[in-house]
Formats: sequence, C-alpha cells, structure tokens
Amino acid sequence: MGSNLPYAADADSPLKPDELAVLRAQFEKEGPYVGVQTKFNYAWGLIKSSSRSEQQEGVRLFSDIFRNELNRRRECLYYLALGNYKLGNYQEARRYNDLLLDHEPASLQAASLRGLIDDKVAKDGLMGVAILSGVAIAAAGVGAMIFRGARRR
Amino acid sequence: MANRDDSPVARLRRTVSEESGVLGTALTTRHLEAFGRKVTTTASHLIGDPSGNIHYQHAMSELQKELRRPGIQQRVFSYTKASPTELVRSKLSTSEIQHRALTYLPDEILANIPEDENVYSLFQGFQATVPEEENEHRKRRRRRNLKGQKLLEGDDDEEEPTTPLEKLRKERQKLNHKLEMMSVRKNMCSSEIREIDNKISNLNTMRKIVLDRLGDLEQDEVQMEQDLLEADDKLEDMLEELDDAATLNPIATPPTEINIETEITEEETSFMSASIYEKIPSPKAKRHRPSRRKSIPIRHEHFEAGSSIKEFQAHNDMIVALDFDSPFGTMVTSALDDTVRVWDLNLGRCIGLLEGHHASVRCLQVEDNIVATGSMDASIRLWDLSQAEYSTRLDSTEEEDAVDNGVAFEDSKETPQPLQTSSMQSCPLFSLEAHVAEVTALHFRGDTLVSGSADKTLRQWDLVNGRCVQTLDVLWAAAQASSTMNSGSNNDGQWRTTGRLPDASADFVGALQCFDAALACGTADGMVRLWDLRSGQVHRSLVGHTGPVTCLQFDDVHLVTGSLDRSIRIWDLRTGSIHDAYAYDNPITSMMFDSRRIVAAASEPVTKIYDKTDGRHWDCGVGMNGEESRSPASVERVRVKDGYLTEGRKDGVVGVWTC
Repeated sequence: MGSNLPYAADADSPLKPDELAVLRAQFEKEGPYVGVQTKFNYAWGLIKSSSRSEQQEGVRLFSDIFRNELNRRRECLYYLALGNYKLGNYQEARRYNDLLLDHEPASLQAASLRGLIDDKVAKDGLMGVAILSGVAIAAAGVGAMIFRGARRR
Repeated sequence: MANRDDSPVARLRRTVSEESGVLGTALTTRHLEAFGRKVTTTASHLIGDPSGNIHYQHAMSELQKELRRPGIQQRVFSYTKASPTELVRSKLSTSEIQHRALTYLPDEILANIPEDENVYSLFQGFQATVPEEENEHRKRRRRRNLKGQKLLEGDDDEEEPTTPLEKLRKERQKLNHKLEMMSVRKNMCSSEIREIDNKISNLNTMRKIVLDRLGDLEQDEVQMEQDLLEADDKLEDMLEELDDAATLNPIATPPTEINIETEITEEETSFMSASIYEKIPSPKAKRHRPSRRKSIPIRHEHFEAGSSIKEFQAHNDMIVALDFDSPFGTMVTSALDDTVRVWDLNLGRCIGLLEGHHASVRCLQVEDNIVATGSMDASIRLWDLSQAEYSTRLDSTEEEDAVDNGVAFEDSKETPQPLQTSSMQSCPLFSLEAHVAEVTALHFRGDTLVSGSADKTLRQWDLVNGRCVQTLDVLWAAAQASSTMNSGSNNDGQWRTTGRLPDASADFVGALQCFDAALACGTADGMVRLWDLRSGQVHRSLVGHTGPVTCLQFDDVHLVTGSLDRSIRIWDLRTGSIHDAYAYDNPITSMMFDSRRIVAAASEPVTKIYDKTDGRHWDCGVGMNGEESRSPASVERVRVKDGYLTEGRKDGVVGVWTC
C-alpha cells in the first residue's frame, strides 16, 4: 500500500461544506447497502473536517469499515489512528498506529504519524507538568505560609 | 514550523483556498467538479507527481527532525500513553465516552488483520471517484485564470517547461498518472461487481430458504383445510344424528348418546375404506367438497421459470386430453388407454377414474368442480367432482411415500385401489348425446356448452336442462358464405381443400371456444370461423393457416390459433387481421395462453413457450437438460394457468412446470 495513504497533513485541509454534502448525499443515497468506497469517501471527508463532531462521526464510520471489511482493515488502521489523532485521543491513535507499524514497518505515513502523536503527547504532557508543577509550587507556597504562620504562633 | 510554509502541502492548501475563492460562487452542479479538482490536486502532489512527492517527503522528514529536537521531552513523556487533556476529556465528557464506546475496537478484532491484497487503496479510490473530464476542466479553467492568480499547480507551471524534452517528460508523467487512475477506476468497478455478485448470491440463498418455508406453509395449509373440512363434516353428521335420534326416539335420550358415539367411530373408519361408504345412505354422499379452496397456492409463482414441480406416469398410453382447474388443484387426464383419471395436483395422487364412456375421451374441460368430456363414442358427459368421495388427506400408510417423485405416483397407481373406481361413482351428472360421430372439441362457459364433432357439425347445449339448443353445420355455413360472397375473387368463406390434403388424423373440428354469443372454431381446412350463436351465422372467417387448425383460444383482444402447418397465429379480434405469427419446426398439436405466455406443444419433447412480455421464445421440459438416459416422448397436450403449466406426453407421462 506504501504511498497510497495520505499524510497526516492532508487531513488538516477541510473540504468545503458543499463538497462534503456531495459525499454525504452519495452515502445516504446508497442506504443500507452502501459500498465500502462511498463509505470511505464520506468518512475521509468527515475526518478532514474541522468540526469535532464530524471528525467523531468519521472515526465511527472507519471503525465500521474496519469491522465489516476484512481486507480493508490494514488501511483502516491508519485512518483510525489519524482520526483519533485529530480528535486528540492520542492513546487510541497510538494503539492503532503502533499496530499498523507492526504490520507495515516501512510505512512512511505511519512513521510520521507516530512522530506527530509523540510530539503532541509530549507537548500536552509538558503543559500538564507545567500546570501541575505550578499548582505544586503554589501549594507549597501556601503550605509554607501556613506552616510559617503556624510556627510564628 | 516555519519551514512548512514552503512545503507542497502548504502550497496545496493555498491552492485549495484560492480555488474555493474562485469557486465560491459555483453552482451546486459544480460541486462535484470543484471537489474533484481539489482531490486531483491533492493526488498529484501525493502520488502522481514523484518530484512533488520527494519534496514533500523531504519536508516531512525535516519536520520530523525538528520535532525530534526536544528529544528529552519526548523521552520523559513517552511513557505516558495519553496527554492530560485527553485523560480529562475521556473521563469527564459523556459524549466523548459514548463516542469511545461506539468506536472502540476490541483487541481480538485488532488481532485479525489480514494481508492487504487489494489492487487499489481506498484513498486511491477516493481520488479516482472524480470523473476524467474534471481534469480537462481544471486545466482549461486554470489557463483561463492564469493571469490573476498565483499559479495553482506549483510544479507544473512554476518553471514553464523550457526545453521540449522537459515538456515531453511532463506530458508523459501526466499520461502515466491518468493511466494509473484509470486502472484504479477499473479495479474499483470490478471489485464493486464482485461485491454485488456476493450480495446477489446471498440474497439467492435467502430466497431459497424463504421459498422452502413457503412450501412448508402451503403444505400445512392444505392439511389444515382438510382438517377443517373434516371437522365440518363431523359436526354436520353429529347434528344430523342428533336430529334423527330426536325424531325417532324422543323418550330415551341416554341410549342415543351412545349411539352417536358408535356412529362416529364407524365414521372414522369409513374414511379409510370405500366399502363402508357405500352402505351409508344418502346424506353422506351428498356432501360437497367446497367448490373453492380458501387459500390460493402461490408457491409456483416464485419458482424459477421452467423448473419442474412434478412429473409422473399418469397413463400407459398417449395422453389425448388434459385440463386442470387451478394451480395445485384438480387435473383430469384422458389417454388412449380409454381411461379418464382425476388427479390431486397438490399431493400428486390419482383420486379416481371417470367411468362411463364407451370409447376414449378426445377432449375435456375442467371448470371448478365441473368436468365435461367428449368422447369417440359421440357422447359428451358432464361430471361433478364435488360429489367425489375423496379425502385429500393421505392415509397414514401412504404418507411416507407421498414425496414429490414419480415413484410414489406409480406406486399409487399400481396398487389396486377400490377407492379409485368407486370414489367417482356419484360424479356423473348427465350425458349429452346427439352427435353422430366422435366429439373432437368442446368448450363450456356458464350454462352453455359447445361441441364440435367429426360429423361436421357444431352443437350448442344448455347445461341447465341438458338439451341441444342448436346445431351448426360447418359445411353448410361455408357453402353459404361462398355463395353470398363469391361475386368477386373472394372465396374466403368457402370450404377449402388445403394445399396438402388434411391427413386422416386431423379432426374436422380442431378446436372451439365460446363466449356469450360468440363462438370461434378452427377446422381441418385451416379456417377459423367466428360465429354468432344468436343468428347461427358465420360472421367472420380468418384465413391464413395452411393446415388443419388444432387449437384455439381467445381473450378480449386476441385470438390465438395453432395449426398442423406448424405456425401459431395471433389475430386481432376486432379487425380480424393478423397481429403476430410465428412458426415452430413441427406441427402444433396443442396450445394455450395465459396473461403472459403462449405455450404450445409442437411434437417435440419440450414445451414451446413464447413470453409475450419480453418477446422471448424458450423451451421447457425434460428434453432440455440433455439427460438422454431415456429420451422423453414428445409433448402432446399442454395447459397453462397463471404460470402453472401441465403437459401430457405420448408415453403417458404428465409433467407439471412453472413458466
């Protein structure tokens, strides 16, 4: 499959609403017997969206495809990872992406996505640590004041 | 991430936004077009254009390098699987939790990831969904907008191809890309077809299952109806017995109670043997089977056309005539072995014999419970099948071999059944005797029966009193027609000796049918005459057949005739002109049509079917499947009703088919 996956950056450019509407119309037209390609097209359009609820819907569709289309699973893993990455569910994203890398160690896209996930987690983590440490310092300060006050007494 | 601004992605994004600016006012019909343009733009960057790809990957790796720089950070936090915000969100927001529950894929599913053997990826499919002409459009549009815009396609247009070599190379690339997309599209189509095929086969198996269920239900239904009938009978008897007892023996009530009990047990046994039946006096014999079944079997409508429902050896000699009242109803057959048999088509069992004719029956018709038979002994007999002492319920011993195969039939035929001969005892209504030669064709509708005989006359009968109402002399009518109309070259009405002499086997009156005062008859001279029964005159003659007419049927629009000249002609009843005609390889001996098809017996081992709705000719029968272990005899007579086809063959076999 190699180069036949989009890079993460490609998921950042949302489609125009009417374009998405075209995909949605096609998806809804096919009803319960929707073909995998149509489903994918719509799901991919959703993932590219900047609205969180649409992204969620996209991920849900991909998990649907994953469940139903055995021979599309490998591809779907990537989109699941990508979708979850966009949603900020890094834990899930990493779970899928690592699995994909197990199967396709050579995939450039998956490798780059892993990098992106790691980075995001690190950044958020750093922020978290910053916040935590800030809180801790504040708490220490307060504690110290109280402690000092207590001692003064 | 400053360096990303130069990456193709950023450029791409710019292009897209520019495009959306251009297309912002686009009509809804252009949505797809616009969308396609975008997709191909993306595609050319990611896949089609290797140079762009290289750039892109280069940019990406740079990007990654940069990201890697705070390596310590990453190492510190890599043990955390999730970022704090994610943790907070996943634990606190209900919609998030719901979404997770919906999309969570358990590990056992994840463990099963087969090798990817698709010829194209879904993403390629996504790209290829765009129609080809979009590319052309895009190019044209781009050219048009060239002036005012930043160049849309960086690589393509940034450095205008200076050398022809470069130009050619680019052209080649473009073509390559197009070719690739084309193959993806092709693969998409074929895989879609495969998907659909799978669905169809699934649906087919489902259909089969449901069809089986329907069959079972119909079987049960018949059983149930029979039970109901029996219960009704018993109830009736019980009431009668009570009445009798009350009138005969009004004082002693307790003994009659016992009497009834014994009567009932006797009755139950009497269902098994006919000899007891005979002893029981009239009230029983008068019992009618319900003239109409409550339920209508529809199973055959769902069978594939041309599939066999039943086949059995009905007679040991050639079948001369057969008819049935309704699908899975009652069939009556007559053969050269001089017997007339009544069959239950649902169970495929011989119910009994109609006995009374002194010679073999040449023609017959079944309508509801009334059977009319015309025989070589020049008489016509009418029978009322509702008087038959026959219970459609199978005897317990016979139930096992009542499977749908010929063996069961042969068995039931071979075993001497007293029931057979006596069960139809009370069926004969009356006999119509006035013809002086064999009756070769008859038809009845309501209270009117018309018959045609080898004595060259047609007779009309009143079925209420059993009298002959009028006699129509075909030769006289023909002569009159020729005398009144022969002023010109027109000798249509005349009795014609056809080019080939009517062979001895051809009946003078091959077929007839009446409706109200209208009567159509086909004769050995190849003419079809339309009579008015009120005046007794021929009011129209249809000329066309060059051989004896053997079969004829009309509805409100068309008259269809079949002849030994091998052709079937469809006439327009109103104008009397030919509407359609077609021919087979052999003489047509029998024909009938229903709403959809014209079936014909053309001296071949298969039934010839012409589907009127789609104009298709096809064959139906055992002769089809090339199983030449026993070459089947040719089909002599066919009857069809609502796609339920019965055919009788030269060797006495009767086949039931759907068509």
